[in-house]
Amino acid sequence: MSPDDADGANDEPVDDGTVDTDAYSDVWVFVEEHDGDVMTVSWELLAEARGLADDLGEDLVALVIGEDVDDVAGEAIERGADRALVADDPVFEPYRADPYGEQFRALVEERRPAIVLIGGTHTGRDFAGRVAVPAHAGLTADCTELGVDDDGLLEARRPAFGGNVLATIVCADHRPQMATVRPGVFAAAAPDPDRAGAVEQVDVVVDEADTVTEVRERVVGDTADITEADRIVAAGGGCNGDLSPVEALADALDADLAASRKAVDEGWVDGSRQVGQTGKTVRPDLYVAVGISGAVQHVEGMNDSDVVVAINDDPNAPIFDHADYGIVGDLFEVCPALAERVRDGEALAGSEADIEPEAQR
Amino acid sequence: MTETAPETDTDGSTDRIDLTDRDTATPDYDDAFDAVVVGAGLAGSTAALTMADEGLDVLLVERGRYPGAKNVFGGVLYTPTLRQLVDVDAAPLERYIAERRFGMLSDEDETAVSISPGEWHDPPHNDSYTVLRGEFDEWLAEQAVEAGATLVTRTTVTGLLREGDRVVGIETDRPDGTIRAPYVVLAEGGNSLVSEGADLKEKDRRENVAVGVKEVLEFPEREHAIEDRFRLTGDAGVSYHYFGEGAVGDAFGGGFIYTNGDTVSVGLAYRLSDAATSQPDPEGTLNAFKTHPAVAPLLRGARTVEYTAKTIPEGGADEIPELVHDGAVIVGDAAGLVLNNGLHLEGTNMAVESGYHAANAVASAAQRGRTDADALAAYREDLESSFVVENLERYEWLIERVQADRELLFEELPRAVADAGSEYFRMDRAPKDQHASTAKRELLRAVGGYTGAAKLAVRYRKLLS
Amino acid sequence: MGDEPVIVVGVKQVPDDDEVRIDPDTGHLDRASAPAVMNPPDRNALEAALGLRDDAGGTVVAVTMGPPTATDVLEEAVAIGCDDAALITDRAFAGSDTWPTSLTLAAAAESLGADVFVCGEETTDSSTGQVPPGIAAHLGWAQLTYAEELDPEFDDETLVARRDVEGGHEVVAAELPVVVAVAYGEFEPRPAGLHRKLYAESEFEPIELSAEDIGLDDDEVGIDASPTEVGGMETVEPVERERVVVEGVDELADELAETEVFG
Repeated sequence: MSPDDADGANDEPVDDGTVDTDAYSDVWVFVEEHDGDVMTVSWELLAEARGLADDLGEDLVALVIGEDVDDVAGEAIERGADRALVADDPVFEPYRADPYGEQFRALVEERRPAIVLIGGTHTGRDFAGRVAVPAHAGLTADCTELGVDDDGLLEARRPAFGGNVLATIVCADHRPQMATVRPGVFAAAAPDPDRAGAVEQVDVVVDEADTVTEVRERVVGDTADITEADRIVAAGGGCNGDLSPVEALADALDADLAASRKAVDEGWVDGSRQVGQTGKTVRPDLYVAVGISGAVQHVEGMNDSDVVVAINDDPNAPIFDHADYGIVGDLFEVCPALAERVRDGEALAGSEADIEPEAQR
Repeated sequence: MTETAPETDTDGSTDRIDLTDRDTATPDYDDAFDAVVVGAGLAGSTAALTMADEGLDVLLVERGRYPGAKNVFGGVLYTPTLRQLVDVDAAPLERYIAERRFGMLSDEDETAVSISPGEWHDPPHNDSYTVLRGEFDEWLAEQAVEAGATLVTRTTVTGLLREGDRVVGIETDRPDGTIRAPYVVLAEGGNSLVSEGADLKEKDRRENVAVGVKEVLEFPEREHAIEDRFRLTGDAGVSYHYFGEGAVGDAFGGGFIYTNGDTVSVGLAYRLSDAATSQPDPEGTLNAFKTHPAVAPLLRGARTVEYTAKTIPEGGADEIPELVHDGAVIVGDAAGLVLNNGLHLEGTNMAVESGYHAANAVASAAQRGRTDADALAAYREDLESSFVVENLERYEWLIERVQADRELLFEELPRAVADAGSEYFRMDRAPKDQHASTAKRELLRAVGGYTGAAKLAVRYRKLLS
Repeated sequence: MGDEPVIVVGVKQVPDDDEVRIDPDTGHLDRASAPAVMNPPDRNALEAALGLRDDAGGTVVAVTMGPPTATDVLEEAVAIGCDDAALITDRAFAGSDTWPTSLTLAAAAESLGADVFVCGEETTDSSTGQVPPGIAAHLGWAQLTYAEELDPEFDDETLVARRDVEGGHEVVAAELPVVVAVAYGEFEPRPAGLHRKLYAESEFEPIELSAEDIGLDDDEVGIDASPTEVGGMETVEPVERERVVVEGVDELADELAETEVFG
């Protein structure tokens, strides 16, 4: 970076980055899309931020960056946004931190949002960490609760010390107040086709020639969204790389496969299926933890499940403290046996299960 | 990219920090140290400390994350020699031993003798303390480092470098992992794979190896549980020893309970040959011991915080390997310097003693510029004249004897003693004399009448001599 | 880029998660008493940096920000194979959140003439993952987060990374200089060589850099430059569970049948 850049347009009044907070208003939600597919967490954020904007008496604005994203902007309105800001250009597809960051910087400088919320996905974290710097914004990571205090300050709450404590992070003198939010924490609102709002195309400030990165290949296969699952079977380090018993059990239960951080780090399961502090929050009817020790960071992501079952060969594993039912035993024996029992049981009680769909819980 | 970062001051105007003048190349440490010590347990750290005090450059190699991390020893440390080398009172000691108790356990009964001399309450407390080796070993290694030794952890010695018969260094599991040194002190513990692999000692015969299992227990939500149950005040503690069927079944060995500061160590040590044939898994045997009616109340409500198992050499004086080689000495458990005869379970003071004598022999040989076994012979001689080998020899016969009589000693006698005891003290309307003679009769039957008793007395007379 | 690439790798000391115990009185994790270790994701970063040097030459310099006791983590980095290490230490840094932390590391990278700055995915003690993109933003460099594989095309002033994008991957080429955040668990760390380890632990001294040394004013860093502050802490009541340990799958199936899970 050349010295010229550093001396570039600086319209902030003081050099410690504090600003006139009254000059900033509105709540923005970054709508993360890839090739027109929107990440569910963005809709979850719109639903939650609707309440924040109402509390503040300000607008809820969907920020949509991508290529051919008018439909996305329209859906954002239907899902609660008052307005949408759209930066539409081929330079924005697929996502890259540098053009997204530059576009965002220019928009913040011009429009001065008070709050910006971003989903805590890989892309969201990549984006948030970058854009918070030029704005000298306060950024809180992986929040699980949001609120505003009497002075209109954003209270971003995130689990600390492994989840037993909820820390409230505030940002008094800097704007915008930014937070990434863990996927699955909030419920998405259904689209309301009757909602109306302005979709504004903003000036694209980025030129492809100025970018410093190039996406040579992008392969996305497993786009499972475990945050929506009614039943989950999760694999942990105890599986030792052999997921067949867990998959068999998930199959028998008609459940989605999820994983602890350990199983993801070992490469057994894709990161999109990780439950916990740095993964997703899930709230299924049934959560079966297989070979998962039960570190607080994991428990935090599944604690809202209705019924938790733990299978582990270590009777002292902490997971048993967080489970309704536990079996101490070898998962390679317990899982197949349980799978078989479930198949038998459901065959017997099949008609009954059809009568009472679990969606009515 | 036109991205601007207005507030930052990282504008390239700062002076470039030049690292080219710094010399950070890897030196060659071959023969940079006078001696390498394999294993930072009690024997190894004592040797390293002593040699460093003597002015030698010492490298102390430990496979654990920190010294003591791999040590499962459960309890009592005897400190007469250590006291000469370090400030024992500054060490992480748990409690001094104020009571020693020997309990004979049958299936359901206990017959016990307890000793608690008043003088044990006064410094230096009979030089007997409970310690948690994880903490104590780390502290002792620190003393060696403070004396000038270099400690390297998480490094496993896998073999020895040889020139002919002479040991000239070590091989480790690390890349670029060999290092040459004039002397190697082998303090690798009971599982002495390096010494065996280098043919410096024979593999321990199976019947001469014991398995040790230990649990550290805490008493959650029970303040003063240890003081109340073991009748203690202040820093006083106990060591309870158990033998007989109720401790280790028909195996040869015994059990123990030691009080630490806030925890108790509970464990067993018994012959591996028994362990492999007639005994269930060590954990199962330990659980049976812990639920013995005489033991269970002491541990009620306790929670296991640590479980560990290891092998202990316990062959006695006959099983001590050649301690001195060209360029190398063997110390501590690796040298089979452990005494476990049911009465005494002592390896720690012998470990310290052997490390100390070995270090002095190395220092003296180094002064003369010699590395041959003859130059190191002082170690063997000093050790032989010390209490270590004397004790081992003294109890040699006992171990054999006890082994031969073990059915009587560990099963029949405890049961008979307990039966006799309960008969003697039976509260019913029969006259006392009648109880006494019944009790006597039962005891005599167990030992084979008056003749049998006399023979037993002769066989074990040396215990008291 | 100069003749030889300079690869800077950021490492941090964190409480050892394996040794963190729960305070029985408060139910909180007691991190203060846990020993300090290298942030586990940084081990992957170290390996990635050393791998780049294996492929393309150059020097690898480890940096950490912290008190003098943080030297331990630099010694470990040098033991594993870093050519040199710098301790960035200054009272002015106290209370830094991710904004001034990334500014400080950015300034250090610039002072050291870095072509590539490699970081771990996040630290296990605060888990934000914000610092690597922050460094890139401060410097206006490219960033490659969640990198699973690296391929230096340094002759073309380019570093290519395979990135984990949840549910798949992408291959991104970035112009140098660049900040890389390595996906946790990728790049299996190599063991330290014995002689290098001995050198690092017994003789090596890191270079010490103050805020001024890397061109920062005291008021640009530390608590005053940190936009965020902790407004409060509250204990989360644990979720009550049945905590029934059942003997076998039949009993489990019976218990589950009592719940509403299976209708």
